[in-house]
Amino acid sequence: MTDKNPDKGYVALLGWSLNAIDAVDRFDRRYVVVAPPWAQDYCKENDIPFVPWDFDRLNERSHELAHQLDDMGVDVAIPLYEETVEWAGAINAVLLKNPRLLGQAMLFRDKSLMKRRAQLGGIRVGVFEEAHDRGDVIRFLKRVNQTLLKLDGDPNDPIHFKAFDKSGTAGHRVIRTPEDVDNIPDEEFPALLESHLDGWEFAVEAWIKNGKIQFLNISEYVTLGYSVFVPATPELEAHRARITEEIEKLIETFDIEFGFIHPEYFLTSDNKLYFGEVAYRPPGFNALELIERAYGFNGYQGLVLAFDPKTTQEELDAFFPREVEDAKGHAGCFGVYPRRRVVSRLEVPEETANHPYFEFHELSDPREQKVAKRSAFGTHWGLAYFFGDNAHDLRDLLKKQEELDYYV
Amino acid sequence: MTVTQRSDADPETGEVLTRLSGTLDVAIDRLERARPFAKGRYQGSVLDVIGRLVAQPGGLGAVRARAARMDAAGLFAGSDWDRPEVLLPQLVGGTLTSEDPAFQALEVASLARFLAVADGDATHDDLHQEGARHFLTQVLALNLRDLFGAPDEAARSLGARHDLKRRVLTHIADHVGLDDVLSVLVSEIWRLLEQRSVQVGVVKDMIAQIAVALHEKGAAPGSARLGAERLVSALFGPTTASRDDPGIEVYLQRISVADDSGLSREAMGFARAMHDTGLVSDYHAAFLTWALDHTDRPLIPEALGLGSTGLDCWRHYRGLIERLVQSAVTPATPQAAYGLAMLLDRGILHHAPMVPALERQLSLRIGGAARERIALGFGPAVSPETQLLAGVLSVLGQPLGVGQGANPTCQSARAIALWALNDPDYLLHLVTQVAEFDRLQMQFEGTPIDSADLPQGLAGSGPIDADPVSVLLVAHLDRIYAEMGRLCAGRPGDPHQWINPQFHGWWVARDCAVAVDVGTGKLADYDGFLRRFFAAYHPAYNGGRPLAHPQPAGIAVTDAQQRFVGWHAIAILRVAEDQAGRMRVYFYNPNNDSGQDWGNGVVVSTSGQGERYGEGSLEFEAFLSRVYLFHDEPLRSRSGSEADPALIAKVRTLAVASWAADRQDQH
Repeated sequence: MTDKNPDKGYVALLGWSLNAIDAVDRFDRRYVVVAPPWAQDYCKENDIPFVPWDFDRLNERSHELAHQLDDMGVDVAIPLYEETVEWAGAINAVLLKNPRLLGQAMLFRDKSLMKRRAQLGGIRVGVFEEAHDRGDVIRFLKRVNQTLLKLDGDPNDPIHFKAFDKSGTAGHRVIRTPEDVDNIPDEEFPALLESHLDGWEFAVEAWIKNGKIQFLNISEYVTLGYSVFVPATPELEAHRARITEEIEKLIETFDIEFGFIHPEYFLTSDNKLYFGEVAYRPPGFNALELIERAYGFNGYQGLVLAFDPKTTQEELDAFFPREVEDAKGHAGCFGVYPRRRVVSRLEVPEETANHPYFEFHELSDPREQKVAKRSAFGTHWGLAYFFGDNAHDLRDLLKKQEELDYYV
Repeated sequence: MTVTQRSDADPETGEVLTRLSGTLDVAIDRLERARPFAKGRYQGSVLDVIGRLVAQPGGLGAVRARAARMDAAGLFAGSDWDRPEVLLPQLVGGTLTSEDPAFQALEVASLARFLAVADGDATHDDLHQEGARHFLTQVLALNLRDLFGAPDEAARSLGARHDLKRRVLTHIADHVGLDDVLSVLVSEIWRLLEQRSVQVGVVKDMIAQIAVALHEKGAAPGSARLGAERLVSALFGPTTASRDDPGIEVYLQRISVADDSGLSREAMGFARAMHDTGLVSDYHAAFLTWALDHTDRPLIPEALGLGSTGLDCWRHYRGLIERLVQSAVTPATPQAAYGLAMLLDRGILHHAPMVPALERQLSLRIGGAARERIALGFGPAVSPETQLLAGVLSVLGQPLGVGQGANPTCQSARAIALWALNDPDYLLHLVTQVAEFDRLQMQFEGTPIDSADLPQGLAGSGPIDADPVSVLLVAHLDRIYAEMGRLCAGRPGDPHQWINPQFHGWWVARDCAVAVDVGTGKLADYDGFLRRFFAAYHPAYNGGRPLAHPQPAGIAVTDAQQRFVGWHAIAILRVAEDQAGRMRVYFYNPNNDSGQDWGNGVVVSTSGQGERYGEGSLEFEAFLSRVYLFHDEPLRSRSGSEADPALIAKVRTLAVASWAADRQDQH
């Protein structure tokens, strides 16, 4: 075990992530995992400091948990999942004696409030509306397409439907027709509706301390829900200065003093940046792992530095490398979905297996899976990892994967 | 596990190899960094890269060079492979052709670790250099077929998976060398041959693989090669005229022009090779058939290598013997020649019913389901009648060579062996019943039992992986045995007490001792049980009376760690001193290979301790420590002295340390 520095902070990880625990266990901060009781035995067997907790809807018991952690000497709580963001806000409000943190967390948890707050802060957002039932969705779909001067019978421009409190691509649907609307299950309401923006979609991962960006990574999406890579192509990195400004606007608007944000943006063909949404937690799709592959630092350890009130600026400067310049290459991953209705085995396509950029995969065996009809973006069957020098080659390679069968 | 740098490391040529090796290092780095509880998350990617790397020329070397590091990084954590000292070499072949590429890669990585330790490039806490080497040698010996032989249908259907296996085995052979493998294999074959099993298919197969190995690899000369060549020549060229394995046709041309002394030399050469190994060459079979028509001089007694008893039988029953050779010895059934030779030397033709019984066998027509079953088991090369006759000769010639195959029918196999040994005409009577009527009739204490009326027993519709006599009889014997068990329902105590004499014959002693209480499974008057065994079987305590008839007995089989495996049927054949003056029990085990390690030094010997072919033996006390049931005469004069209490205590200690550990009585 790495020696823990008693002069440094003591952090609580909210939510169960073995990757995060593994990384933090190797770091010099003391930590405790706060996760559902089913993890208890595992933690006991492996000497992982553990507090059992059910993260249901935020409730009055957050206060109880906050004091329990305070008594243990915990300095700050770090949310690992969307569902624990408001819990972290409530706990940190107590631990750091800053009641505003709870309100801030609520903004991150409600896509509609978040968007309005951004708009108020002078950040450009697309057309959006809240939907409480299917009628709202139909109305929005019609109005957007009327605005675009479409005639009856013309194919509709799509709209995006995002369940309020789901993270990432879960609960994210692209709606083109009234039939698509019928397919939305009741439990995904209320939701945020957005017009579709044609353009370049990307995400940012920013580690923040003292209201300042400590490290800013741009993750370029090849296809949303399928593939992403870091650092981005030179063409997208060319916008880094503007993107940094946008992030600073977010920090100011949402009054972010410390932590980690993961916003999504569109760069449209008329060269305007549109804010999509922002999350106060690590991204999905193992983006932190890609960053580690490209830059060599562990994102979760970076998270601890950014949250820990006892972290010094020297530590941060020593920890984070220089953006883009220090990257050893471009790292990307591709989320694999079976393309056929019936599959019997996993077989990495030969052209992928032989490509010099292909590193390895973490795909599950088809005998453990059923092919579900994809409605929302859903969950992939695992990731294939790539690494190489040339961003354009990597992007094209990732795009190419969409046409290949990994499961036959 | 630590690695020392090796100067002549495998050259990693080729761009792809270098790149993939680099990728493997990245994957190992991640695994290495991870905490023990998170290893599982990073093992998959390492295995994935190994899978691709080994497909490259030189890839196995790259994996081997990293094997120790991968092991230390935790590649095997959480799996059986984490404990190399308990891995079983016989499972390796299957895993190498697993459908799951991750398992293949895991096995490759594990073998690479053994290789690194065997080469002295790495050390491992639980694995010594010698141990690693031995393990790899066993893996090669068990998979020699895939190393050399042309792929068979099964291997071909595996495609790339078989290619991988072959390349892995070749890589290991390149490092470990084949001399070791040959010697392991050769001594294993000799060990099996000394038990003179009726079924020699597997052994012949292994010898054929050795022949290919010697031919292709030209292994270095040495004692291993000598032993190997002796086996190969016994099968493929035992005589002067067949030395170069010329093919049957050429061989027959050669002997048709040979002179008398040449033919005599051929006949003796065959006989010597056959009695040396128990194996019959195809040339030998061809020679015997040819000799039937060679009227100048009888060559058959010479070619069978008969002793004085056999020669006497030949003189009396030449006509019958020639007809047996004619009908039973074919290219598909060469082993019948060995069975016949042994049968003649046993002298059982002088037993009055035997000649007519064999005459009957010669004219027997097999009917219905029995015919189909023989055809299913032995294929269409020769008629089922020929297969059965050949089987009859083998079983009568080598009674203790009967094995149960992979079937839970030790009772039936034991019965066939004991009848062949003790009651050969009765066995032929049973064979005729089943062959002609597909049914078997017996009696249990006066109650008639007919196998045709009974449901299938343990063996289902019967084994097809045994000798022809077993294939024919076992399904019926098994049903009758089960029915006898049902008829004993409700009687107190172990039913074998009544079944064994009724099932086998009058010569099974009517009284019976059981070490455990059948109800509780605990030992019951165990010391009394042991004293009684001494009094019944040990010459020093039974008045020096030798055992006249083999007696069924039940043993508690234990594994090499002395753990209880199960109850098993054997037969006690004789109790005698070995060359060193130690009292031993010689017994028959219907299990196909008697040489077993029952733990704590109780290792069954099959040769070298006075055993006859097919016998297993243990020192008296060691044997007794595994007995749980034996038969004993109800009327026996108390002529001997009581067994020494120290001896009884010694046996009890051995038993309680193994199968009886949790069965101890209040003592």
